Amino acid sequence: MNMDSTTALAADAQLIKAIQGGDERALSQLYRLHWPMVSHFVLQNSGSEDDARDVYQEGVMVFYEKVREGSLELSCQIKTYLYAVCRRLWLKRLTSKSRLHGVRLLDEEEYGPYLNTGAEDDVQEAEERDRRFATMSEALTHLGEPCRSLLEGFYLLDKSMLDLTAEHGYTNADTAKTQKYKCLTRLKKLFFASYKEA
Amino acid sequence: MQTEADYYALFEAYQRGELAAGARASLEARLGAEQRLSQLYAEYLDLTGTLAAYGERRRTRQTISHLHEAMLTAKATPVFEEKAAGGLTYAVNPRLSLSRTEQKLREFWSGHRATVGVAASVAVLAVFSTLTGLSLWHSANAPTASGVRELRREVAQIVRKQDALTRKVATQMGDVATPAVRTNKFSGTGFALTSDGYLVTSAHVIKGADSLLIEGRDHQRYHAETVFTDKKHDLAILRIKDRDFKTFGKLPYTFKAGQADLGERVYTLGYPREDVVYGEGALSARSGYDGDSAFYQVSIPLNPGNSGGPLLDAQGNLIGVVSSRQDDVLGAAFATKSSYLVRLVDSLKNRQPDSDYRLPRFNQLIGAGRPQQIKRLQDFVFVVKVYE
Repeated sequence: MNMDSTTALAADAQLIKAIQGGDERALSQLYRLHWPMVSHFVLQNSGSEDDARDVYQEGVMVFYEKVREGSLELSCQIKTYLYAVCRRLWLKRLTSKSRLHGVRLLDEEEYGPYLNTGAEDDVQEAEERDRRFATMSEALTHLGEPCRSLLEGFYLLDKSMLDLTAEHGYTNADTAKTQKYKCLTRLKKLFFASYKEA
Repeated sequence: MQTEADYYALFEAYQRGELAAGARASLEARLGAEQRLSQLYAEYLDLTGTLAAYGERRRTRQTISHLHEAMLTAKATPVFEEKAAGGLTYAVNPRLSLSRTEQKLREFWSGHRATVGVAASVAVLAVFSTLTGLSLWHSANAPTASGVRELRREVAQIVRKQDALTRKVATQMGDVATPAVRTNKFSGTGFALTSDGYLVTSAHVIKGADSLLIEGRDHQRYHAETVFTDKKHDLAILRIKDRDFKTFGKLPYTFKAGQADLGERVYTLGYPREDVVYGEGALSARSGYDGDSAFYQVSIPLNPGNSGGPLLDAQGNLIGVVSSRQDDVLGAAFATKSSYLVRLVDSLKNRQPDSDYRLPRFNQLIGAGRPQQIKRLQDFVFVVKVYE
């Protein structure tokens, strides 16, 4: 391994550590750093600027969630990993919307060994998670008010029970809590019904 | 009997560590023992975990989309400042800044370049095949280099074919093959210039000639030699070599030294085939091919073999020497003006004072009808046979 990649790996490790610690500036740096590469790749392969942004954000999301979970096993530079993830994502989109059956991508030699980066599995995992979230979102919509805003307020927006009690006009926190648990059981039925069958 | 909601309250309290030690121990024991309860707990965990992760995901998505906007707005700010602010070092990739139109064009190009490529190559192919096709077609239909066809007749080709045929027949009949008679290759027309053996024809008729034979209407043959050729005006002067030749007799026509008028009725005699042929028309222009002022344009249908023939006006004045016809224009033939012929004779007189060129001075055709004119004229018009 040459000097360049050694220092690059060291910088990557530092960056990952900072992101894991919740440093938004580090994430911002990472984001800026690799945007040109991905946008170029997508534009090269018959995508638009908006496509590039969507794919890149999705890709960074995959990376970020893996880092936050601490489950990222990086065998290459972040650059290569991101390239592989975004490539995989764009390929999926292209094949799903393309009239042509065979889609061939123009790759940059520079980001060469994008194949054995574990990106495939990570993308797969992220997709599974996406499906779960989509089901959850749908279940929440079907739940109806006031259950929906109550649960969203508590679980998604991290509001305290006291705030929610005031917001929804419950007489006291205990009534709100009881209501919340009832809502949760209904949500459970809705969620598992559609998630399991899928 | 506890409801599911009650259990959820219990689970939440348990998760948060709010249960008293006794209650916690009993719940843990029940979770270990009762399968229904442990499944309920697992579902509870799954559900709340998913909810929490979903919330996290929504926040992350928002953060990242903010990052993108921040990046776009910060594009203008100098990079080294960020570098100083952030503790980490990183390489900054050069970023292309594109105008909106260019961006649109790039998107269009990356989306449609395959189609565009195919269309372009088809267009190129079509253009070139059309061009080569057209040029081939043109070259196949191109007129002769000058656009003018000289009117001497290629005889040999026809004769040779005939010879071959006769020889074939002869050998089939068992006869001894007779040696082939040498035939003339080209023929044209010529006419008398003076009564003592000078003749005029076109220069191209005798081009490349090895020997010349003059044959009159009465099949009297004479050998002739070239005295002078003027290729520029397509004129040639011949002289009869035969010792026993005396004279043609008095020439009935005179040579016009001036120019003839437009629209004048003109006619010619010539030998486009074995017999003498009369052709009639009008003088249609006082210049020849490509504006050549040494020639007239006449509207007489002419054929190969007519070259060198005399062109006469209604009064029997000789006004020109038939030369050529234009291929791509209907009924346009050209004849050298007689004034050039007269001038040529004058210059020859000066150069060779001993030889006498006595041009006829009296026109005997004036007033005569056309058939009478021709009757008198035809004895002075000859076939010029060219051997190479």
